Amino acid sequence: MKTILRSKELTCPSCIAKIEKALKAVNGVEEAKVFFNTGRIEVQHDPEQVSGADLEKAIRAVGYEARVSAF
Amino acid sequence: MQSLVRIKNWLRNPRQRRQILTLLSGGLILLSLAARYGGGSAGPADSMLLTAAIAAGSDIAARAWNNLRNRAFSIELLVSIAFIGALAIGEYWEAAAVTFLFIFGAYLEARTLSQTRKVLGELLDLAPTTALVLRDGRQVEVAPEAVRVGEMVLIKPGAKIPVDGVVTEGRSAVDESAITGEPISEEKTPGSSVFAGTINQNGMLKVQVTGAGADTTLARIVRRVEEAQEEKAPTQRFIERFARWYTPAIIALSGLTLLLSRDIELALTLLVIGCPGALVISTPVSIVAGIGRAAKKGILMKGGEYLENAGKISAVALDKTGTLTEGRPRLTDIIVLSEEALPLPQANAAHVPVTGGHFANRWSASQWQVLRWAGIAESHSEHPLARPILAEAGRFEPVPEPDSFEMTAGKGVIAHFMGSRIAVGTNELLSGLDLRPLADAEKRMAVLKSAGKTAVWVAVDQSVIGILGIADSIRENAAEAVRQLRRNGVQRVVMLTGDDFRTANAIAQEAGITEVYAELLPEDKLAMIRRLRQEGHIVAMAGDGINDAPALAAANIGMAMGTAGTSIAIETADVALMADDLLKIPQAIALSKAVLRNIRQNVLIALATVSALLAGVLLGEVHMAGGMLIHQLSVLVVILNGMRLLKA
Repeated sequence: MKTILRSKELTCPSCIAKIEKALKAVNGVEEAKVFFNTGRIEVQHDPEQVSGADLEKAIRAVGYEARVSAF
Repeated sequence: MQSLVRIKNWLRNPRQRRQILTLLSGGLILLSLAARYGGGSAGPADSMLLTAAIAAGSDIAARAWNNLRNRAFSIELLVSIAFIGALAIGEYWEAAAVTFLFIFGAYLEARTLSQTRKVLGELLDLAPTTALVLRDGRQVEVAPEAVRVGEMVLIKPGAKIPVDGVVTEGRSAVDESAITGEPISEEKTPGSSVFAGTINQNGMLKVQVTGAGADTTLARIVRRVEEAQEEKAPTQRFIERFARWYTPAIIALSGLTLLLSRDIELALTLLVIGCPGALVISTPVSIVAGIGRAAKKGILMKGGEYLENAGKISAVALDKTGTLTEGRPRLTDIIVLSEEALPLPQANAAHVPVTGGHFANRWSASQWQVLRWAGIAESHSEHPLARPILAEAGRFEPVPEPDSFEMTAGKGVIAHFMGSRIAVGTNELLSGLDLRPLADAEKRMAVLKSAGKTAVWVAVDQSVIGILGIADSIRENAAEAVRQLRRNGVQRVVMLTGDDFRTANAIAQEAGITEVYAELLPEDKLAMIRRLRQEGHIVAMAGDGINDAPALAAANIGMAMGTAGTSIAIETADVALMADDLLKIPQAIALSKAVLRNIRQNVLIALATVSALLAGVLLGEVHMAGGMLIHQLSVLVVILNGMRLLKA
């Protein structure tokens, strides 16, 4: 399934690679994409293995606050 | 231990880290000034400056390294070489000032830049947080995305509407300004559509859900605005390509200067002032602000490219029905041509409902007969003009269905019913059937058309039995919209319609449009748009988004109007106008032009600053710290200029 998160803290384009890498390192995450202009983070993952809260935690671990969003 | 981890996590956040480093290096610079001018000894002052430069510079250098690993020559790289060079030759003051100004500027940029992203945040804040659903006769509070289509939702006065749906019970005013940009509340009654994120004002509403969560108009708008803001405008792509070779070129220039002049400071200063900062953000800042501002006015732009194009529009083609007119045609006239009007071939069909009160008496018995024949023929038609005929014909009793039915685009319909052939349509349709109305009838038809009404013939077998007149009132602000289009530099405003010349001319005259193309088939509209483009115009076509799809697609900018309810139009039109308001068309064009102007100003500011600085450096008038200060100021000026659009 696809979960959408949003962060208001992206200030440099280099943050993108860092967050994407951190998310992809989580077990059960298949794909992660971060959009800089809007702070939108799209994650394709297996809901059995990873929850939205887990994704938030993984992003927080690399230093950014992001929250799961309904759309 | 716990607090150590917290501090570590906190420092990991680049925004907070930069804040601390900015404060630290700024404070140290101040202290060093105090030490130098207060105490007079240079030693401690220099070590403070050195610490300041390292504190601020470490963050810059780390990012430069990160970018370099991703094979990007960044601004940070220029600054890093410059400050390390300055430290190497003992210019501590320059190094500290340059690094401090750079990260302080970056901090201010991030703050102001997030202002331009504000509109999206506001849209997201509209997203409802809970929904009151009726399940098994009980009211349950759930997350809005957990509501299923078809369920019933209760909306209390003052509450945010959590889903898209149709009102089944209740009556209330709803503030839809968030979606349509219209400040006046909409009155909702059973049967009306409501949208998630709008606000129920004074009454209780019961709503049947048609969409929830990601499947709502609000979600589609958010998605659309986001995609638009991510999509790069042509100018931006150009500038990014430019920046890719610009940065290495500056490094090469500085190296060359060093070789030729043997002046390290001059070479390092070149690096600092050569930063393309203002240029790189000149376009995105205007685009993001412009798209955000437009969304707030109920104008959804597909992206930077469309915004730039919309700013150049020189010709606007307007569809008549539903765009210039209200799109709610009413049957206003029934003219009976053959006095021995043909009764329907059914025992009770000629029954005239005289007991129906006011409305029934509006038409005479023979008028009802003409209407009934037409109604039968139109009962399978999807044409917008079929609706008012059917609505009126079926007012008191159901309209029987024809045995066969054939529709000819742009001409009308031919149907068979119990052995009779019914034709409802244009002159062309009649002549195709070898039918000729009398001269007197033609005259009466012309009168209807000159009044701006759409008129069709009704023929049964070999006789033309009547004329139906259908009026679709022109929108109140049509003339104003056309005036505003002209004021915004649109050279040609043309009307395209499938309707008859006389009808079209009458409406066009009221709207102040002089160029009218009537009796067009859908493919003719397409050809007209292509012709305008061949003449060198940047063409916008405004229509309802569904019937005009090909013409909308052929135009440089396709504008769909009144799209709040239709998801396809929001997703496909280049510019989707949420409200059913013609004035949004000139507004969209004016805003796009403002954005285009803003981009040009920004590029100019950026280029002028860099050239002035370059000249200053080569003349020996500008030094490293001063150059950095001016460069950072130009970046802020560009951002602030872009933010003006938020108020446009």
